[in-house]
Amino acid sequence: MKQAYTPRVPRSYVGAYRARIDGPEKASGRAKYASDLMVKCRVPGLLYAKVLRSPHPHARIRSLDASQAARLPGVVDVLTFEDPEVACLKPTNAGWCGGEVTLSYERMMWPRFRDRRVLGSHARWVGDEVGAVVAAESEEIAEAALRLIKVDWELLPFVLDPVDAMAPGAPILHPEVGDTNVLPEDTVGGPDVFVNRGDVDQGLADADVVVTATTTYHNATQNSLDNWSCLIEWNRDGITVWSNSYEAHQTRMHISEMLDVPLNSVRVVCPYVGGQFGRGDTGEQPFFLFTALLAKRTGRPVWFRHSRRESFHDGRQHMCYEGALGAKRDGTITALSFNSIGNVGAYADQSMFAIKFAPVEAAVVVFAHIPNVRFEGRGVYTNKMPACMMRGVGNNQLNLIMGRLVDGLAEELNVDPIDIACKNFGHQWEELPDKSLVTVLQTGAARIAWTEKRHQPREGPIYEGVKRRGVGFSFHPGWHTEWQQPRRGEVHVTITVNPDCSVNLDAPTVETGTGSNTCNVLGCAEALSFLGVTSGDIHWISTVDTDVSPQDCVQTDSAVAFLQSEVMAAASKDIKVKLLERVAPLLQATPPELDIDAGFVYRKDGVGGRWSVKQLLREASLDPITVAVSRRPLGTRTGVPFIATFAEVEVNTDTGQVLVLRLVVVNDCGTVMYASGAEAQQIGGQCIALGETLTEEIIYDERTGFPLNFNWIDYQIPTMADMPEIDPVLLEVWRGEGEYGACGLGEGTVTCTPRAVLNAIYNAVGVRIDSIPVKPETVLKALGKIGS
Amino acid sequence: MALVTTQETVVRPPGLEFFINGQLYRLDAGSGIAPTMTLAALLRDQLGLTGVKIPCDQGACGACTVIMDGKAVLSCMVLAVEAAGHEILTIEGLPADDCVVQAFAEQSEPGYGTALQCGFCTPGFVMTARALLDRVPSPTISEIKEALSGNLCRCGCYAGIAQAVRHASEIQAKAAAS
Repeated sequence: MKQAYTPRVPRSYVGAYRARIDGPEKASGRAKYASDLMVKCRVPGLLYAKVLRSPHPHARIRSLDASQAARLPGVVDVLTFEDPEVACLKPTNAGWCGGEVTLSYERMMWPRFRDRRVLGSHARWVGDEVGAVVAAESEEIAEAALRLIKVDWELLPFVLDPVDAMAPGAPILHPEVGDTNVLPEDTVGGPDVFVNRGDVDQGLADADVVVTATTTYHNATQNSLDNWSCLIEWNRDGITVWSNSYEAHQTRMHISEMLDVPLNSVRVVCPYVGGQFGRGDTGEQPFFLFTALLAKRTGRPVWFRHSRRESFHDGRQHMCYEGALGAKRDGTITALSFNSIGNVGAYADQSMFAIKFAPVEAAVVVFAHIPNVRFEGRGVYTNKMPACMMRGVGNNQLNLIMGRLVDGLAEELNVDPIDIACKNFGHQWEELPDKSLVTVLQTGAARIAWTEKRHQPREGPIYEGVKRRGVGFSFHPGWHTEWQQPRRGEVHVTITVNPDCSVNLDAPTVETGTGSNTCNVLGCAEALSFLGVTSGDIHWISTVDTDVSPQDCVQTDSAVAFLQSEVMAAASKDIKVKLLERVAPLLQATPPELDIDAGFVYRKDGVGGRWSVKQLLREASLDPITVAVSRRPLGTRTGVPFIATFAEVEVNTDTGQVLVLRLVVVNDCGTVMYASGAEAQQIGGQCIALGETLTEEIIYDERTGFPLNFNWIDYQIPTMADMPEIDPVLLEVWRGEGEYGACGLGEGTVTCTPRAVLNAIYNAVGVRIDSIPVKPETVLKALGKIGS
Repeated sequence: MALVTTQETVVRPPGLEFFINGQLYRLDAGSGIAPTMTLAALLRDQLGLTGVKIPCDQGACGACTVIMDGKAVLSCMVLAVEAAGHEILTIEGLPADDCVVQAFAEQSEPGYGTALQCGFCTPGFVMTARALLDRVPSPTISEIKEALSGNLCRCGCYAGIAQAVRHASEIQAKAAAS
């Protein structure tokens, strides 16, 4: 039986089980995405751009001859790295967004790693965009033209493995950054030993039990279906960009700063986006620049899109963690030590966010009660696809080792890992045991029948002669809460109450599917309930257009829904004040003498009757009442909520197949803003999480450096037939500051599942597997049934 | 396509007829149909039926699914010329009150999430589900899983989608009974 969650405070709209506001538009195929605006029959004069991509993992262009390509009928322009408008462009990287807020060139994140050239001549991975870009009357012609470009390549030695890349004599990818492939220390990520509290060596020496492990997380990619693209016009009025970028104002800043055009001459329009998962936060954005330059040179609208193959342009950091945990016999952890190597691929992009920044946050919020903690980490360049941001950035890799050490300690001490977790982990501002963590773990345990199903490793019943079952879990601090968001800057909301009492809500954020739009409408209806409006009376503006929209709240950190709802709650108070000022003269009263409830105005002293707001607005001036509020998150320190995944698996010891029977996904949300949407995130996140655990993996030919499976046939994303039963569990234990005190949800749903499954496999068959993906051959090797 | 020239007259190659969403389209070489053009490209780029999405263009994701002569097909795997003379139904051709569209839009009961999030795969799922319910009005959960396992939803709304198909089947049965 499926169980609905129980809200801490019952509300009319916030927390509802209901349909998405964009359901009818999307289910009927009417919803328009950027690529739908770009179809040939709708854009007269449309040109198609295609960029040259390196066929070599590491090479330099000695010379390039595009004359034959330029002569191909249908080719309108060829732009090369030698053209002055390209050659003059500054080196750049992915750091135009500090995770949340739009940044200028001088202040961009990772200033030490400006390692990307727009159409450079130095290719660092197979697929790197280099050398030239063609604009033609059709995509086919543009592709044919690329094949006619003659490139004299200087082939360079390449390196795929980060350990090899750190060795003396390895080919150096970015001499301009440093004389090794190890990314230098930087102002954001800090030194290589970036957390060093107490004395870890002493803590380990003093421990009764020491558990060590090594875990490896592979390089999955986001795989949103809506491949990244843009349509650009550049005429006398300036540059107009239509794109499925997920951060319109950041895209505007990037183009303005790089092409030296005033901000108000760049207009970026972002309608619905078909999935994101971190995809748009990458260094691959130079495509906006060369597409704009082609639009300027040709005087025609130019469309650039990534094909499916080209959409494998960034992903999660392939990361190896060594971990050590020391503890006393009673289960008190005395020391934790982590040492990581992250393969950042060909460009640094936002990888240090995963390797250093995210673990620092986790160390503050979950390891606060452990006296000795050390984190050491390095990002290393290799000739592979760059890594960048992906849902659960950095936390997924950290959880894989953290959950392993907790499970290992529990086994050593022969106690329940839930007890180890509750005894040791929590926020610095919370007493142990952390109430949120205890509730999350106890609830998850009850839902999966932890006590009944858990047994000593490999000592459960055998099914059909060869199958063994087991259960496991992993937990993590949720992210993000309101106090973690001040770095985001101002959050904007504009509410307009029309004279018929209908409402326009401009809570600008690009709708990537997260459901923050429905949260917005529910939050607005709740805040405006004094007007007697329902969610159906509120029109949410679904397109962000930098010419008319206030700065959009970037879809990162799963924070948009609760950040904007808090601002709406503030804006609604101003609406009330303005409305009373508007109608008071009609009632021969002063505003302080009046109040509004459920759509009616009344005198506080009880004299007279109740007057319909709707009627009064029609009798007043007919000017819409508009309130625009922007404010920073409050930053009040409130601790963090926790999340967990519990898994039950069945392992076939003959074939090595791992079947996940059931997942229980538990999130402490503070306040559930939109229950159906929250559960959709909990369930939906498992498509990425289980894919990464069992089937998804980018495979390279080690001999040539060539990626072999940049398509959805060989890179296997779970389908409906692959997914187990998933039980989404919403809790409201922790509470943040503000009207709702909610927190982020979506991103964390992918973090605990890989480790939960690995622990369940151990419980089933009694052998440790600490690398993902877990393919059947991995299991058979671990069981000693095939050679390693 | 080159025109066939005789001594005095210009003879156009025979036009191709498509029956799309109940409407007859007669397209000839002048309309830009190339021999290599896929049905998906014809529907989207030439006719503006943008409910047809083309994320992969290699038959791996199902987002371009349309119904051809009553059967769900991947329109990126069908050449436009192959579709000539056949009846094609895209999501734009479904009635406004279609029970599958309605069920996908409204899916929300506790425990299953919604049937869509970003919505990019949704038209493909709706068309695959529509073809399933035309063939099997009351499918079992395993029939639903089998029929829809050629469609990818990276937002992972599979549980909500399966529920929506069940609900659509119920709505359809009710409508048939009344």
